Amino acid sequence: MVDLNEADLVRRARAGELEAMRQLYERHASRVYTVVRRLAGDDDLAADLAQDAWTSAFEKVGDFRGDAAFGTWVHRIAVNTALTRLRQAARRRDLEQGFDGKSTLGNPDRWPAAAATDRVTVQRALDLLPNGYRSVLWLHDVEGYTHEEIGARLGIAVGTSKSQLSKARAKMRVLVTQSRAEV
Amino acid sequence: MMVHLTEESLSELLDGSPVANAEEHLAGCPACQGELEALRRLRSELRDLPELQPPEGSWSRIAKQLPAGRRVRRWRRSGMIALQAVAAAAVFVLGVGLGRVFQPGVAVDDGARLERSAVQPTASLAEAMAEVRKRGAEYDVALRNLEQLARREGAPVPSLAQQRLASLEMLVEASRTALSVEPTDPVLNSYLFAAIEQRDAVMLEMTQSQESGSAVLWR
Repeated sequence: MVDLNEADLVRRARAGELEAMRQLYERHASRVYTVVRRLAGDDDLAADLAQDAWTSAFEKVGDFRGDAAFGTWVHRIAVNTALTRLRQAARRRDLEQGFDGKSTLGNPDRWPAAAATDRVTVQRALDLLPNGYRSVLWLHDVEGYTHEEIGARLGIAVGTSKSQLSKARAKMRVLVTQSRAEV
Repeated sequence: MMVHLTEESLSELLDGSPVANAEEHLAGCPACQGELEALRRLRSELRDLPELQPPEGSWSRIAKQLPAGRRVRRWRRSGMIALQAVAAAAVFVLGVGLGRVFQPGVAVDDGARLERSAVQPTASLAEAMAEVRKRGAEYDVALRNLEQLARREGAPVPSLAQQRLASLEMLVEASRTALSVEPTDPVLNSYLFAAIEQRDAVMLEMTQSQESGSAVLWR
């Protein structure tokens, strides 16, 4: 069903009206922030990503044709923004770690560990995963992306996406189970 | 010793993909059944994680990055500067308490003058320009009244001419400042030219009056 009020807000936002943009933001802010926060695993980074996503969305709102709901469109921009930034960060980290031999990627022993007293919730366990694993897990299990779509967005092979998903699930399972056993 | 399903196989099963010999193994292995069920529960909990609210002040930070937000701020700034130019004229126009100021030997109250010429912030360039036109009209009315008074009194008042010159110098300077922000703005450009023209006219009149010893006229 077409939301006439939202369609009007989009039209006004395309004309550059700041108040219309603010109202669109208010409607979808939590949805956008939630997805970037889950993908980022960090509050500060999530705030930056959400800001980038919204800025990008309003700069491109002239391209929005209304084929999908505005919320779906901006959500997609948020996912793309987060994945792009996380990939850039991963490339930088890989480059730096390539010199000191301390890469954490693919090596669960070097993943950040929760403190003994830290009750690991599902959210916390998700935050503790490496970016790549967390992205695949969230996109597949919550956002409903296929491995083909994930592979295309992350620049990895389908097999790698499947492998990362199984490792992410296994790690989550260990983190949460250990925590619950301690409580 | 029983070999349990790998994490890859369990993950495939969770997604409903077929895994060779997995069904037979699961039927006889409570451990792997439990593991698969735990993974299923975990996935469900992930999906049930609550929606989050962005930090306070997020919209303000976003708005500052938006072209519309930047444009509004720029307009506000140029609008303010345009009004400062108008205020320079108003210092002269409103400061002239007709009759009171025109009397020789009576000083102008600077405090009252500045207070009356105070500039109010405006929301847009359009509002600023409306204010320019309004103040411009007031300026013209005041000048006409001063002309009439000057003719009626027939007395030279050089201090007022000097004050007018100083105000017009301020107006020229303020107009130039406004144009440094909006160099192509036609209203501000015409405002600058008009201010320069009037300033030069006053200077010429003052020079001529000093040479001839005649009274200073307002126009």
